[in-house]
Amino acid sequence: MERITNFLRDLCLLNAVSGDELDIRKYIVNALKDASCEISFDNLGNLIVRDKNKKKPKNKIMICAHMDEVGFVVRGITSDGFISLSAVGGISDSVVFGRHICFKSGDSEIYGVIGGKPIHHLDGDEKDKQPKLSGIYADIGANSKNDAEKFISLGDFAYFRSEFVKFGDNYIKGKALDDRLGCAVMLDMILSELDIDMHFVFTVQEEIGARGAGVAAYAVKPDFALVLEATTACDISGVEDENQVCKIGNGTVVPFMDKSTVYDKQLYKLAFETAAENNLKCQTKTQIAGGNDSGTIHKTAGGIRTICLAAPCRYLHSPSCVIKEDDLFEMRILAEKMAYKIAEL
Amino acid sequence: MNLKETLKILCEPAGVAGSENAASEAACELLSEHIPNAEIDNFGTVAGSMKFDGNLPLLLLDAHIDEIGMIVKFIDDKGFLKVGRAGGIDRRALPASQVTIWSKKPIKGIVCTLPPHVIKDTVKAIKEDEIAIDCGFTKEELDKLVSLGDPVTIDAQFTELQNDRITARALDDRAGVCAILYALYLLKGKKLKYNLAVTFSSQEELGKRGAGIAAYSVNPDLAIAVDVSFGDYPGAKENSTWKLGNGVMIGSAPSLDRGLFEDVTCIAKEKNITHQIEVMSGKTSTDADAVSITRNGVKCALLSIPLRNMHTPAETLQLSDIEATGQLIAEFILR
Repeated sequence: MERITNFLRDLCLLNAVSGDELDIRKYIVNALKDASCEISFDNLGNLIVRDKNKKKPKNKIMICAHMDEVGFVVRGITSDGFISLSAVGGISDSVVFGRHICFKSGDSEIYGVIGGKPIHHLDGDEKDKQPKLSGIYADIGANSKNDAEKFISLGDFAYFRSEFVKFGDNYIKGKALDDRLGCAVMLDMILSELDIDMHFVFTVQEEIGARGAGVAAYAVKPDFALVLEATTACDISGVEDENQVCKIGNGTVVPFMDKSTVYDKQLYKLAFETAAENNLKCQTKTQIAGGNDSGTIHKTAGGIRTICLAAPCRYLHSPSCVIKEDDLFEMRILAEKMAYKIAEL
Repeated sequence: MNLKETLKILCEPAGVAGSENAASEAACELLSEHIPNAEIDNFGTVAGSMKFDGNLPLLLLDAHIDEIGMIVKFIDDKGFLKVGRAGGIDRRALPASQVTIWSKKPIKGIVCTLPPHVIKDTVKAIKEDEIAIDCGFTKEELDKLVSLGDPVTIDAQFTELQNDRITARALDDRAGVCAILYALYLLKGKKLKYNLAVTFSSQEELGKRGAGIAAYSVNPDLAIAVDVSFGDYPGAKENSTWKLGNGVMIGSAPSLDRGLFEDVTCIAKEKNITHQIEVMSGKTSTDADAVSITRNGVKCALLSIPLRNMHTPAETLQLSDIEATGQLIAEFILR
């Protein structure tokens, strides 16, 4: 299990917003260089891993997780050298002001911060307002537009700078846990040399509308899809039970429905049964919120029966996503057990 | 003296207002290289003096050592720390920040932020009583690890940006401390026109408390306070910000001494030290306000370093402005 956490650490520290997943792809290919599997890519950059030499199961299964994360893109540069940004994917205005970020420009990393009007200059109502990303700026230390353009170009991507930290009672904090944890689980599964042939798909562009997964599912045309994800846990101070969605430490989350998908009812039931048989904790989501790659996969190529296994994650889409390591480990076990069951369903 | 390295040494330790010890110890060690009798007083202020000649006036150089932060006030049943603000920390920069709780053993935490389905009004900034810190422990565990009153700082790596600019937490006012240390370095071995006292004062962010206490003991004839002030940002009102890189800001205010302001400005011009004038209309919101009304009153000048994103973990400045501030202090003392 230590291997999963090590993969997760490495993957979270890499920077890859939607459309810029190359660094994750490279990492995965390298991690699998000694494994007996074949790796292929499609036109969008989805990475598909399988092993044809292994036993062909009754049902064709696709297991997937997305490689991309939320981040920023450079939209403009002011004459004074300040940089205006837009979010790539859903980033709340609550978590951008005062942040340290890093720009990826070619092969180099340029550090910066996001800021603006200081608290001392806010008048009346302004004091209680959260600044919008569209009204604040990134600063790399440039003193003019020309100076900034030496380092940054329009369309460059920027990322939260956030350490990967283990803290508390086996908690993990990092950026991009959504969905590097799914990628880490899949890497561990592939390297565990399971004895049936499954299609592991590392998808692109989930955060801007689950775009890669549909294309991959069309190519693979599986009978069943198993999506590995991170999902919102809101079991925090001051939040009522009904709004908590799911709880950290209470095991894998299996949703019955979210904004993008009504999950396959037989697979939903199977997940809870499988968890119980293996003494694994399992919970569902108590809000119909969020969405993931399942949303496009289940509608692809005449319909694909789909289920999602997710790790509960606090502060999703922020620089400080938080999970409990035990949930991740349990999800890893449940994913394998479920895959075997679905294979012979 | 390497300004960047010195600033880094000063910024790394925590020194939340009222709990300055770690920052004061680092600053005291650096100060004692120039002023051997430097020590930390009962209130956390670093103070030292050098008297060369009884006939020379005593000049106090002051910067504050404390920084804005938070303080643990309650542990709720779910195991989240509720905190109060120590100084005017910018609440807008708190959600999803990584923090350190300076307990017996430092503990990492994350400031809670609500996901979109729970936030009713995304336009509102987090309120002080809504701030909660997730340490990944239960209440029972936290009761053993954390004490009420423990200080909290936001984690922000000391980072170099372009053009010799630096972003870090606590640049307000470790930058001022750094400028004074640089002035002392420039003065090494030179014959000074003043006896010198230096204070790196505590609790500025809570109302300039340490400086008033320390200045009473020092009993100076005149003083220069060194702090940070508002760096430029897009959309700022005219004459409310000063450009990074345009040098030391010389303060002019009814609460500061006019003669000292003129002397300092004159020296900056003569010695070609890059400078800009900051005009305030009353008090200055710096230690100068407290020092100037100590005992029988003290003539005060104020020098400031332009700083962006004040009271956030993204405070940003340019090293050449600290350099200019140190140079101006040194030239004033040699004159």
